[in-house]
Amino acid sequence: MQRAFFLSFVVVATLSLPSWGYADDTLVVYSGRAERLIQPALDAFQAESGIRVQMLTADSTALINRLRMEGARTPADVLITNDAGTLERARELQLLQPTAIPDLEETIPSRFRAPDNSWIGLSGRIWVIVYNTTMVNPGDISSILDLANPGWKGKIAIPSAGSIYLQTGVSVIRALKGDEITAGFLRGLKDNARAFVYGKNRQIVAAVARGEVAAGLVNHYYINRHLAKHPSAPIAPLLTDQGDQDMGVVLNAAGAGITAHTKRLTQARALIRFLISPKGQRTFADVNKEYPLNSHVKAAPELLPLQSFQVASVPLSRLAQLRDLTMTVIEDVGLR
Amino acid sequence: MLPLLYVTISAVTADPAIWRRLWTTRVPELFFNTISLSLGVAVINLALGISLAWIITRYAFIGSRVWDWLLILPLSIPSYVLAYTYTYLLKRGGTLEHAWQTFAGSEATFFSPFSFAGAVLVLALNTFPFVYLLARSAFKNFNVSFEEVARTTGANRVTTFFRVSLPLIRPSLIAGLFLAILYVASDFGAVSLLRFQTFTYAVYQQMTGRFDNTAAACLSLVLVACAFVFLFGERWFRQRSRFYQTTGRYRKPVPQPSGPLTTFLFTSYLLLVFGAAFGLPVLLLVQWTVTAASAGDVSHQFFGYVWNSVSLSGLTATAAVLCGIPLAYLACRRRTWAGTFCVQGAYTGYVLPGPVAALAVLALVSQTVPQLYGTILVLLLAYLVHFLPAALQGMESTLQQLTPNLEEAARSLGSRSLRTFFQVTLPLVRGGFLSAWILVFVQCMKELPASLLLRPVGFDTLAVRIWLEASEELYQLAAPPALLIVVITIPVVLLLMRKDQT
Repeated sequence: MQRAFFLSFVVVATLSLPSWGYADDTLVVYSGRAERLIQPALDAFQAESGIRVQMLTADSTALINRLRMEGARTPADVLITNDAGTLERARELQLLQPTAIPDLEETIPSRFRAPDNSWIGLSGRIWVIVYNTTMVNPGDISSILDLANPGWKGKIAIPSAGSIYLQTGVSVIRALKGDEITAGFLRGLKDNARAFVYGKNRQIVAAVARGEVAAGLVNHYYINRHLAKHPSAPIAPLLTDQGDQDMGVVLNAAGAGITAHTKRLTQARALIRFLISPKGQRTFADVNKEYPLNSHVKAAPELLPLQSFQVASVPLSRLAQLRDLTMTVIEDVGLR
Repeated sequence: MLPLLYVTISAVTADPAIWRRLWTTRVPELFFNTISLSLGVAVINLALGISLAWIITRYAFIGSRVWDWLLILPLSIPSYVLAYTYTYLLKRGGTLEHAWQTFAGSEATFFSPFSFAGAVLVLALNTFPFVYLLARSAFKNFNVSFEEVARTTGANRVTTFFRVSLPLIRPSLIAGLFLAILYVASDFGAVSLLRFQTFTYAVYQQMTGRFDNTAAACLSLVLVACAFVFLFGERWFRQRSRFYQTTGRYRKPVPQPSGPLTTFLFTSYLLLVFGAAFGLPVLLLVQWTVTAASAGDVSHQFFGYVWNSVSLSGLTATAAVLCGIPLAYLACRRRTWAGTFCVQGAYTGYVLPGPVAALAVLALVSQTVPQLYGTILVLLLAYLVHFLPAALQGMESTLQQLTPNLEEAARSLGSRSLRTFFQVTLPLVRGGFLSAWILVFVQCMKELPASLLLRPVGFDTLAVRIWLEASEELYQLAAPPALLIVVITIPVVLLLMRKDQT
C-alpha cells in the first residue's frame, strides 16, 4: 500500500518535471493584458525570431507584487501591462531596467516613454463616450463631466471600480480638476448608472448598441471592435472636452519594460524592438484597433488620427503617484 | 496553522489607518453582502432540499430511484462553471430572456446575472444537494409513528408536516445548511465571475489590486474570525438539539404509490430543478466543446493544462494522505495534548477560503524561504493547507472504525509498532485512505483562487483556464476544460453517495 503511494508519487514527480521548468532560451513575459490583445503580437514575434515566449497572465498590480517578492530570482524577462501608471510604479520600485534600443527616440515620442526608457509605450487608447445614435444628440455633450448630470439618470453604463481604465480616468480628472469636483462627478455617475455597472468595456458597448442605455464610458477600440462585427450597430464614439480651455480626452498607454533581473537581456530587447517595429505595431493597430505609438505607423483608417484631437495634459508617468489616492476616492464614493 | 499565524500578525500589526479605512468603507458592505447572500441561498436551499427529499422518500413513482441519484449531480459542477454558464443564459437578449419574452411580452426583462439575485440563484443551485442529501437520509430513517400519533390526535397533513416532521429532522437540516453556508462564504469562483462583493472575493481583490497585502490580511482576519464563531456556534447548536430514538417501536416510512397526475407534477418539478442545476449547463458545455473542437481550438496546449492539473492534484493528494497518516493516527490512538493540538491545528484549514489560504502561504513563504516563491511547491503547500482537513476527516473516521484490539494482538505477538502499522493497520484501512486520496484529488482539480494567485510561469491549470476565458466571456474556449472537470468529478460524487447510503 505504502509502496503504491510512494511509487505513484515518484512516477508523477518525474514525469511532470519537464513540464514544470522552462528552457533557458524561453523568454518569460508577465502580462497584465487580456491574452487575446497581446497573443497575436507574441505569436508574430515567435514566428519571426524563433525565440519561444512563455506568458503568465494576471492582474497588473498582482504582477508587480509578484516581481517584488521574487526579487533577483524572478523568471520574468519582460513586463507588459495595459496601464502606464503600473509600469511607472514598477520603475519606481526598481523592478525594470532602462532599455537601450537604437532609434528609440525617433520611433516612440517621449511622452509615451519613461524618462529613462525603463518602460516604453506600445499602444494607446483613449477614454471616450460611446452613445446610441438613435437616442443621443452628440451636440448635447461637451464634457465627460456632463454624464454626472441628473438628466442621465438610468441612461448610462459605467465600468466597475476595479477597472484600470476608470482608475486612470479618475486620476487624470483629479489632477486637472481637483478631488472635490472628481468626487461629485463620481457620485453623479453612480446615481445615474444604477445597476449598469460592468466589468468589461465590451459589455458596456453591447448595452449601448442594444439601446438599454443611451451612453457609456469605454476605451475607444471596443467601439471599433463591435462595429467590425456588427457594422450596422447604432453606436458611435464621442470625444469630449475638446474646447480651447477644456482638458482633452484621457489617454492611457499599454507598454512594456525589461525586468531589472532578466538573464536573457538580448532576447528581451529583441522582443521590445519587435513590438515597436512597424510589424509588431500593426498587430495592435489592425487587430486591436488601438493607436500604434510608433509615430511612423498609421492607426486603422476608421480611427480619428491621434494628432487630430486634444489629449489631457497629465503625463503618463504621473499616473502612478495619483493612483493610491484615486482608489481611496473611488472607494469613498462607494462605486462598486 | 502556522500560515494562519502569519496572516494574523500581519493584520494585527497593520497601520490603524488601514483598519479604519476598511471599517468605514468596505467591512459593513461586505458583511451585509456575505450574510444576505448566505441567507438567500439558505432559504432557497431549505425550500428545494426539503421538498425534493420529501418527494423522493415519501412517494413511489416512475423514475423516482433514478431521480434519487440524479439530484446530487449538481455537486459535480464547480461554482465558477455554473456561474459562467448562467452569465450566458441570463444575459440581456440571451436564451432565457427570449423564452421568457414569448410568455410575458417583449418588454419583459430578466434579472441580470451580475446582481444579488444572480449570485443567490447560482450558488443555491450549486449547493442545494447538501441540504437535500441530509434531509433525505433523515426522512428515510424517520420513525413514522410520530406522524401517525399526530394524525390520530386530529392534526391534518400540513400541520403534521410542519409541527412534527420538520422539527424532528431539524439537526440534519441545520447540518446541511451549515455546509452550504460555509461553501457560499468561502466561494471565490462564482462571486468573482458574477462580481458580487463578498469577503472572500474582497480578499482576492485587495491582493491583486493593491501594492501591499496588509489590507487583504485584515479582511482575512475578520473573515476567519467570523468562520470560527460560526463553526463553534454550529457545534454548540448541534449539541443542544439531539433527538434520540428511545423506544423500540420504530417503523420505516413506506413510499406512497402516486397516480399519473402527481407523477407528472413531481417529474416536471424535478426536471426543472435538475435541468437548471445540471442538465442545461452541461448541455451548453457539451455544445460549446463541440463547437470549439470543430473550430480547432482544442490544441496541444489544452493537453498541457490537463497534465498540469492532473499531476499537481495527484501530487497533492498523495502528500495529503502521507501527512494525514500520522495525524489521523495521533488523533485516534494517542490522545495527548500535543496530538490534539496538531490535529485541531490542521483542521483550521477548513475555515480558510482559497484566497486566504493562498495569502497565508504566501506570507509564510516570503518570511521564511523566499527562494520557493514562484515554484510549484508553494502552490502545493497552499493546496495542502486547504485540503488536508478533508483528507484527515475521512482517514480519521476510517481509523476509528478499526478496533485497536487487532493492533494490540499484533503487538502482543512481538511485532514492533512500525511493523504493526504497515502490516496490520494500513492494509485494513486502505479503502478509506484511498477515498480520502480521491477526495483531495478532485478538490485540487477544481481549486481556483490559490492556483490563480500562486501558479508558476507556464503552469496554468484547467480551473485557471476556465476562469481566464470565462472572464473574457469566451464561452467556447472555457467549455472543454469545464466539461472535463465535471466528467472527472461525477464518479467521485456518486461514489460518496454510495458510501453515504450504506
